[in-house]
Amino acid sequence: MKIPSIVFLSILLLPAWSFAGHRMDMDSMVMNENPMTLPEGCQRISGDQKITVHAGRKHAKKFPGLVFAYDRQSWDVAPCTRLTVRFVNDDDIRHQFMVHGLPEKIYPQGMFTIEVSGPGEETASFILPPYKKTYLVHCDIAQHTEHGMKAQIKVAGGDRDLASLPGLTKAVRPDRYPTDWTAGSIVSLLLALVAGVVLVWGGRRLLKAMGE
Amino acid sequence: MTLTRLFYLLGIAISLSLAWIFFPGPLTEAGLSLPSTVKWVPSLDDTEDFCQFEHPEWRQAQSIEGVEIEEDPQCKPDNPYLVASVVKGTDKVSMPTLMKTRLAMDAVVKENDRDGDGDPDVIHIKLEVAELNGSTPDGDFLIPGYRIAPGLTPGMWVFVPKMRGMATVDAVNLDANPMLRAPSPPIRVEQGDTIYLTLENSHYFPHTIHLHGVDHPYLRADGQGNDGVPVTSEKMLMPGERRTYEITPRRPGAMLYHCHVQTDKHMLMGLQGLFIVEENRPDNWLQTFNIGAGKVRHRSAASRQRFDQEYDLHFQSLDKERYLPIQAHNDPRLVARAMNREYDITDSDEDFFLLNGESFPYTLRDSLIVVEPEQKVLLQVANGHPHTLGLHLHGHKTTAIAADGVPLESPVTRDVQALAPAQRLTLVLDTHDDGLHSFGEGAWLMHDHAEKSVTSDGIGPGGDIGLVIYRKYLGEDGFPKLQGMDLVPFFNRWFYRKQVPVWARSDEWAIFSDAAPLPPNTIRVVIAGLLLGLALGLLVALWRDGRKGR
Ligand SMILES: [Cu+2]
Ligand SMILES: [Cu+2]
Repeated sequence: MKIPSIVFLSILLLPAWSFAGHRMDMDSMVMNENPMTLPEGCQRISGDQKITVHAGRKHAKKFPGLVFAYDRQSWDVAPCTRLTVRFVNDDDIRHQFMVHGLPEKIYPQGMFTIEVSGPGEETASFILPPYKKTYLVHCDIAQHTEHGMKAQIKVAGGDRDLASLPGLTKAVRPDRYPTDWTAGSIVSLLLALVAGVVLVWGGRRLLKAMGE
Repeated sequence: MTLTRLFYLLGIAISLSLAWIFFPGPLTEAGLSLPSTVKWVPSLDDTEDFCQFEHPEWRQAQSIEGVEIEEDPQCKPDNPYLVASVVKGTDKVSMPTLMKTRLAMDAVVKENDRDGDGDPDVIHIKLEVAELNGSTPDGDFLIPGYRIAPGLTPGMWVFVPKMRGMATVDAVNLDANPMLRAPSPPIRVEQGDTIYLTLENSHYFPHTIHLHGVDHPYLRADGQGNDGVPVTSEKMLMPGERRTYEITPRRPGAMLYHCHVQTDKHMLMGLQGLFIVEENRPDNWLQTFNIGAGKVRHRSAASRQRFDQEYDLHFQSLDKERYLPIQAHNDPRLVARAMNREYDITDSDEDFFLLNGESFPYTLRDSLIVVEPEQKVLLQVANGHPHTLGLHLHGHKTTAIAADGVPLESPVTRDVQALAPAQRLTLVLDTHDDGLHSFGEGAWLMHDHAEKSVTSDGIGPGGDIGLVIYRKYLGEDGFPKLQGMDLVPFFNRWFYRKQVPVWARSDEWAIFSDAAPLPPNTIRVVIAGLLLGLALGLLVALWRDGRKGR
């Protein structure tokens, strides 16, 4: 009789917790891990792919105007792949590797998440659906996506490229900066001006020639 | 030839000038009968329910994992599971309880009962910095969204307990989750405890924590700065970095914590909160965080002994020009330039006024002080406005027993309690109906008597209006039973955006609502038309003349 209550207590007191694809302790959290259940349309796991993703301030330094980033912004994955993500946090704050748009039947809210609480890492896997689709990957800590922590996973080549991926795609709402008239831009303007004049003269001469 | 042309030109000039004079202007003079009144009909989509809350069971008194949680009968009470988690510690509470909050497992860790009095004496607290209503490169919306009143989404920065998971409600609703809100939460610690307060800078700007008025050494044991001031004691904490402040406060009292980087911006953007050191008592488990301020649902031993209830009241204000940079730009270089060099606090004025992170009428949902007759209620008030707060309660005179955490030798009983900027007053609200402390039961207004504070960007009633409400004036759903004007306009998203006549729903709306616009005077329309036609005709004639001439 004593043993079950001890087991029960140790579950309550254990500084870690695991339940149906979720696990959590002081250092990290994984939600909707799925190494087994096949998404609809997959006959079997087509293969295993492992990626290591680094996240942090230093990975944004090569992108002017961005603050946080992953070390890579796009991954290509074959349909029905079991993707194992080793997520390494290089900062002293939280970061997440959060995937959106997965089938809600096996991924509640369509999400798969690894969160690492500070410097450290966590690994988890999930199985991608068979369809040609692009999945959003981001860190949903307030303003992290907006300041660079955004990427994509393309299954079977993906159905599009997401906007504002650092170094890859333009923003939907780009910032505006002061205009700087360089020597090059002034020369371009003057050349275009001359070309306009030439165009009128040439046009008139052509019309005259045709008239004759 | 030239003379004819001159006549043409003269004719054109004269008819254009006359047309200019006769053309109907933006205002039209009324004739015999004045225009009718436009009746304002609110659309259901634009009007919020006064009180809609999915967890009414959170209101009752309850015990969660041995933590006693007081009743909070108003519309939107604090999450009792969160209260239990921060009392016991986020690592000690069971997973099902912690999962009902968005707290990280290492947000509040309590250990080591050094004096053997039944409560932990070494406390680790972790804070992050969050931006509310910031811009995004992904479209024309603000994220994470946070309304201080219907239709109002000013940009803010707040300290928040370390969280886990998404900043937003979920993947579809991009509003901030309920824990991510203003004000920066009041923090409670016990006198003599050793506190490790860690700031994890999750924001894209540098920040620090200054423990204003809290007994703290200038340097940490290891010689690192502990005062939070970038000019004197330490470097600014950069994005992605963390720093721990170490304190063992010897005196109790209501203090503050705030960011000390560019204080005229950062502190007034919302990086400021109450920091209350409670008297050391045996078995004194404290509610480390009071999310959204307001009622303290698990009070300190001293408060339980001497008072019937306790509330935190945090007043603060926001300036449109100050927060505009975070909504206009995404690039931190553009934000820094606009906020640090183009914005000038000496040329500006505050626009929005908040009580516990929200403005009226949202204050009716979760910032009520709900009292019964014959109670003594403790109020911890912080003035985060950059102006002097004249805290006025209707129907009561409160008694100040401490200022800035120092007990007053002679307590001051007043109906306007003055607080200088950053000042804290500890007030006793006595509800004995004696004609001095209380005038009896009612739904009594409470507000800053600096009149701009009872508006939102100049539209009233708004701003930091709250209520001291006696229980019998509270409805079933926790919303006040009021008998004044219709509240519908205040819950309409266009009201504080100045699109709704302020007395639109009064009995005599026909006198005060907008008058219908008038059509322009017909004679003027005809004359102006004729003159314009004349000018056009002359222009054509002039042109044809010119061609013929050639
Ligand atoms: Cu992040
Ligand atoms: Cu700051």
